Amino acid sequence: MGAAVDHVSPMGMSGGSGQRFSCKNKLTALVVDNGGVCQAIQTAILRSYGVETEAVETGEAAVELIASGATFNLIIIEMLLPFMNGPETAKQIRAMGAQSKILGITAFFDERDQQEFLAAGADKYIEKPLSPEIVIPIIRKLDN
Amino acid sequence: MERNQMRRQLALMRQSFFDQGFLDEQFIQLEELQDDANPNFVEEVVTLYYRDSSRLILNIDQALERNPLDFNKLDNYMHQFKGSSTSIGAKKVKAECTQFREYCKAGNSEGCMRTFQQLKKEYAILKRKLEAYFQQARQAGPLETACRSRN
Repeated sequence: MGAAVDHVSPMGMSGGSGQRFSCKNKLTALVVDNGGVCQAIQTAILRSYGVETEAVETGEAAVELIASGATFNLIIIEMLLPFMNGPETAKQIRAMGAQSKILGITAFFDERDQQEFLAAGADKYIEKPLSPEIVIPIIRKLDN
Repeated sequence: MERNQMRRQLALMRQSFFDQGFLDEQFIQLEELQDDANPNFVEEVVTLYYRDSSRLILNIDQALERNPLDFNKLDNYMHQFKGSSTSIGAKKVKAECTQFREYCKAGNSEGCMRTFQQLKKEYAILKRKLEAYFQQARQAGPLETACRSRN
């Protein structure tokens, strides 16, 4: 169980892994999640890849931001948001004509939720955590 | 205690968290996010986790006192709890969250209560371990080697 992590030293010493992936072009992202921890981590992950990232706690705030003219290459939306849920948020964002890549994210993967999210306009639906294996290919595609 | 010895102890402590199943590779991802600009990122996020989740625990405790149980409400609380636990790599806590949700879906009150007691236990154990770890990390001081480089 511990073998996979033997090579990594305590906090802050992972510089041995070399340079981290970073996007070439200016990319922007919006994280929509009412969980402080998830919001902080997802934002930090995207920023570490060079993506300018904003975060809001509700679907309403996301819709308002986009309605005000803000555009994002990538929008990550939590399934379970207070008031307006993830799929409804995605639906309203798409209805405004946003071309962003939308990633639905959830703590518990559920096929019905997946169908709902994709039908609402999300491009992908994943279970937390937001991993490099998922997010780097998305950013690379947007970057190209 | 000599600094190198402290760091060796710290490394052993950290490794034990993975070996004993308290943390998973997601914790390593948090460590990878720590750099000169965010030198205390891991501790800050973990502190935020314990602050936010203590409120959730209170809410769930109160919800479990109701009769009959509102399984939908409990499921929503646990959704948030699992999300944040998963995101910091709290492996055992995450497993209990998943088990709790199964009992919620089955409408099993006793199962929910029993699992939640176990969840709180795992949560408290991890909290103690991480607090001791961060305290020792502070005493050991920052490392001279550079953190991950950015482009």
